[in-house]
Amino acid sequence: MKQLLHTLALLFLVGQAATAQNSIDSLIQIDEVAVVGRRPMKQIGVQRTEFDSVALKEHIALSMADVLTYNSSVFVKSYGRATLSTVAFRGTSPSHTQVLWNGMKLNSPMLGMTDFSMIPSYFIDEASLLHGSSSISETGGGLGGAVKLSTRPKEYDGFHLQFVQGVGSFETFDEYLHLGYGNDRWQLSTRLVYATSPNDYKFVNRDKKLNIYDENHNIISQYHPTERNRNGAFKDFHALQEVYYRLTERDRLSLTAWYTASDRELPMISTSYAEEEEIENRQREETLRTLLGWERIATTGRLSAQAGYIHSWSAYDRRITHKGGSSEEGDAGLPDGTMEYSRNHLNTLYGRFSGEYIPSERWLFSAEVAAHHHRSRATGKEIIDSEGAHRAGFKEHRTELTATATARWRAMPWLGVGLTLREELYDDELSPLIPALFVDGELIRGGKLVLKGSLSRNYRYPTLNDLYFQPGGNPDLKPEKGWSYDVGVDWHLGNKERLAVDGSLTWFSSRIEDWILWYPKAMGYYTPDNVKEVHSYGIEVEASAAWRPAKEWLVELHTSYAWTPSLNEGDPFSSADRSVGKQLPYVPEHSASATLRLAWRKWELGYKWCAYSKRYTLSSNGESINGSLKGYALSNLTLGRTLSLAWCDLSLRGAINNLLDKEYVTVLSRPMPGIHYEIFLGITPKWGKKRR
Amino acid sequence: MKTLFRYLWLLMAGCMLAACSESEDENPNGPTIDPVDPPKGVYVVNAGNFNASNASLSFYLSNERKAFNEIFVKANDYKLGDTAQSMAIRNNTGWVVVNNSHIIYAIDLATNKEKGRLTGITSPRYICFLSDEKAYVSSMYSDQITIFNPKTYTITGTITVPKNTAIAGHTGSTEEMVVIGKYLYVTCWSYEKTIVKIDTSTDKVVATLEVGLQPASLVKDSNGKLWTICDGGYEGSPVGYEAPVLCRIDPEKMTVEARYSFAKGDYISKVRINGTGDKLYWLNGGALYAMEIGAESLPTAKSLNADGYLYALTVDPKTNEIYVADAIDYQQAGIVYRYSAAGELLDSFYVGVIPTEFCWNN
Repeated sequence: MKQLLHTLALLFLVGQAATAQNSIDSLIQIDEVAVVGRRPMKQIGVQRTEFDSVALKEHIALSMADVLTYNSSVFVKSYGRATLSTVAFRGTSPSHTQVLWNGMKLNSPMLGMTDFSMIPSYFIDEASLLHGSSSISETGGGLGGAVKLSTRPKEYDGFHLQFVQGVGSFETFDEYLHLGYGNDRWQLSTRLVYATSPNDYKFVNRDKKLNIYDENHNIISQYHPTERNRNGAFKDFHALQEVYYRLTERDRLSLTAWYTASDRELPMISTSYAEEEEIENRQREETLRTLLGWERIATTGRLSAQAGYIHSWSAYDRRITHKGGSSEEGDAGLPDGTMEYSRNHLNTLYGRFSGEYIPSERWLFSAEVAAHHHRSRATGKEIIDSEGAHRAGFKEHRTELTATATARWRAMPWLGVGLTLREELYDDELSPLIPALFVDGELIRGGKLVLKGSLSRNYRYPTLNDLYFQPGGNPDLKPEKGWSYDVGVDWHLGNKERLAVDGSLTWFSSRIEDWILWYPKAMGYYTPDNVKEVHSYGIEVEASAAWRPAKEWLVELHTSYAWTPSLNEGDPFSSADRSVGKQLPYVPEHSASATLRLAWRKWELGYKWCAYSKRYTLSSNGESINGSLKGYALSNLTLGRTLSLAWCDLSLRGAINNLLDKEYVTVLSRPMPGIHYEIFLGITPKWGKKRR
Repeated sequence: MKTLFRYLWLLMAGCMLAACSESEDENPNGPTIDPVDPPKGVYVVNAGNFNASNASLSFYLSNERKAFNEIFVKANDYKLGDTAQSMAIRNNTGWVVVNNSHIIYAIDLATNKEKGRLTGITSPRYICFLSDEKAYVSSMYSDQITIFNPKTYTITGTITVPKNTAIAGHTGSTEEMVVIGKYLYVTCWSYEKTIVKIDTSTDKVVATLEVGLQPASLVKDSNGKLWTICDGGYEGSPVGYEAPVLCRIDPEKMTVEARYSFAKGDYISKVRINGTGDKLYWLNGGALYAMEIGAESLPTAKSLNADGYLYALTVDPKTNEIYVADAIDYQQAGIVYRYSAAGELLDSFYVGVIPTEFCWNN
């Protein structure tokens, strides 16, 4: 099916190309470095990290997980391309990161978290991180923070077409097609991404040894085998359709639809001695997100309304086919040897109305009401007995209503204050008032040095799986609740013509109570409970510089660093519990990233680096052989150039990942690939375009 | 107030740990190695977290009160694997079953080094020896029992056990085993409800007994009777949910002679028996209970006032001392408490992540 879609997409490309009338300018645009003269009212006291389009559009094989890894200090936990990749801020857990796409929540209401490997970076036009309290003006539940992702209308005049083909190590193929059309009323855009790979990279398996025997079956020698990543293939297809219509000077309508079809194997663990053919461990997903929007922009404010619908189907199968067994589907519809089987159906209706009012230069008021209604159905294995067929699983629905009001006041030219109040209703459970207070003050005029801070309390409601999963769901769970504050400075120095230096340094501290943790019961299944209290605190630093040493030259450096102790301060489980006062498992205390970009005429050289300190795998931080994972640093290099031909623009780009061929793991027993490569060829025809 | 409470807890914990014996002493590979007479004590199989490959093997020298952790990886320089389940000993060779790595390692108890391995078993759980040349392996996600030759490390056959529930895709499941005479008795646990009797001379199932939902443990008492506990499933389970029940079985006639019902919702696991075969032990909701085999009814009081939620259990076959393990939060090294037969705390030692089974070498 996906192959067919793929072929259709290519046919469409050819058809469109033939009729294309116009085209637009070159492929790589060197974005101007933004230097803010005065802090916008909306960002009073807000701790925000913004990603530029160079980071988002570096190459088509990247997901948002990769972008965040190399361009921020949040912790991205992943065990390779096209595997579950989660993002955690400030030492919290992935479900404390709320993700918004054009205002709509992307977090799974069943799992609570977002898989960032499912978000191609080429689908995102604007991305920013809202750290800690700063997320409250946008969404609830972001005890760590929020990731805000948006697509934006282009400004095409006529047709636009772009196709990129990527070919990489391990027979990885990435294809990207973008079709656009625009005039003064309409803007249309279609983006398609298709990625496939057996992803069977080689690695030396340090977790295993194979034996060499003599004729009497005595082991005479043992060695660590060189193996391939087994059962790691993936096929991901994404389509994003956008339609924007300018109704009047002030009103704009939009329709956005994002379809994902993903079929991924889950790689075998490094200690498995099963044969690859014996194991089926596969995750599939089909999701459609649609969003209809209206926006009115006036000089004194802005109004917008959105309605959305999400349909998601996901399937997980774990199966073993043993000798004598059959992998044929049995009478009851499931193959023999099924160990795990789950099908989740989710339908979400979404509505939002928001407004902004700017009565004067000194005041900004905004308010928003939003509703999400989720209907979920989870099904597991089936039994057929005298009473008929029953399925394990649950069928639940939930309505989430939120109301937010924010006032921002520029009390003095140098002093800004903001207050957000938020209220959430989950079915019939009303949250206490969620307040967030923001302050900032200029220390050096012109926004060159700004002191800022925020204080908030926040809640996160249990997910549908936390409450209802079978077996184990706990309907008596309380919401997680937290207090947090941060204080820091921002600087914006220099000028964009020569040298600009921006950055921020922030201290933060937050306490989360009733932290939900799943742990096994005697019956062999996991169940969640409000067991932990976590204190996380630390420092976040970001610094970037843009230098134009000469005409046609640009040097950009962006660095970030975070120090995030995140300590369990809950009551001990028992007197033997050694986890109290210890760093949470899989939260690195130090994380850092850097990107360096050199651009000269049509050439561009990029270097990316990220580093994480040791992660403990145990809550007690015990120093056993499997008790921690070594810190590591990774480097990637890309080189690209654009060519302007008479009829098209071409772009050629090569990427070397894991440049130093480092052996590392991010998750226990999941060895990662060594050095690997990918090249990308992009083509943007200019048919019918007038020579400039 | 809450803070005060927490500090009191920590203070108590500190006192407890001060009484703890030292683990990890100067010889990291284990106790003094004697190739002729391997050390006497108890092995602790630590399952580790599913898919994390952090299973490990610990050894406790009961006379010297010393614990040695991660003895497999230290002796062999590779990981034990994912989700270790059990261990059995025959002729100074330890057989460690590592369920989700689909492997069984044979180790020399004097050195803890691998002697050989067995792969190709679906989901291995327990080993039961019939002789030096024949042993059986049960499988959680399979209706087959694997027969292998420990001398040659080769699989010699399989026995298919009837499945008794009609869940789509259900694999069947076999769990703990006991040999009496020429018969092998096996509990069929996950989504199952029977005990099967296998004639070891023909390796054919000769009788099936329905006992209740999900019988797991199986022990033999001094009268030659078998005991099991059916855990009753869980709420929402596709095979149903009922009160757990302790059953005494006549292995010859294959009948249930006595049933002792628990309250619905009780979490019962791990039936074990003392060395003399006259007293049963099990865990209910993380606490230890004990009962004489001749008792009329279930005990009402727990048998130990141990701290924590107990997860694993064994009884020293020679001294009747009781060893219980607490997995704490299942994300750190668990602890084993050693009690006298009378219930007096004698020692405690940290082991690995999720201590799940014990194996005696006395």
